[in-house]
Amino acid sequence: MEKIFEKEVLLKALFPALVVVAMAFTMVVIAYGVESVAPGVHDAFHDFRHVIGMPCH
Amino acid sequence: MNTSMKRFVVAGMLGGIVWGWVAMALNSATGAFEFEGSFVHDLITFAVGGAVFGTIVAGFLCLVGDIIPFRNRLLRAVLVSTSLWLLLKTGGTLLSHMDHERYHLVTSQTIQGLFLAVILGCIIWLFWKKEAKLRIEA
Repeated sequence: MEKIFEKEVLLKALFPALVVVAMAFTMVVIAYGVESVAPGVHDAFHDFRHVIGMPCH
Repeated sequence: MNTSMKRFVVAGMLGGIVWGWVAMALNSATGAFEFEGSFVHDLITFAVGGAVFGTIVAGFLCLVGDIIPFRNRLLRAVLVSTSLWLLLKTGGTLLSHMDHERYHLVTSQTIQGLFLAVILGCIIWLFWKKEAKLRIEA
């Protein structure tokens, strides 16, 4: 019972952090246009990347 | 994710969408970069990109907001958004050094980006305030 409770508390604490980390990963992929991770992301977010001052070709 | 954090992150996401469109409008005014995509395409991608950035700033504010030595929430939001932008920019500068053909820096766009990071912090703060007000009223 205690173990289940501990697990629940751990999941509740970890979940928000994991969501933020996942979104941070998405941000990096968009900001640098990492084609190897998400094909097409470079062209799709090309204008966005330039406007926010990230390096691009 | 607890309810208040979830609501705040959603508020951050909405603020990010607004920020994306503000970024489009600001770039049209400054002319730092000439848009290459169509208006509708940019409207969507700026909203998506803005939502991601807004969510992250709001998420980081929830996670590390209390350890920031400012009491003022506006300063906290601006500090987090600007720090994230600077972190990305540092990575971008490193990439530019490694592969100059692929990644190159443009000063006018960099200044605009820094200014937009400050604006993102302000917008997130506004949405944060609005969300807190709605929660109190409910």
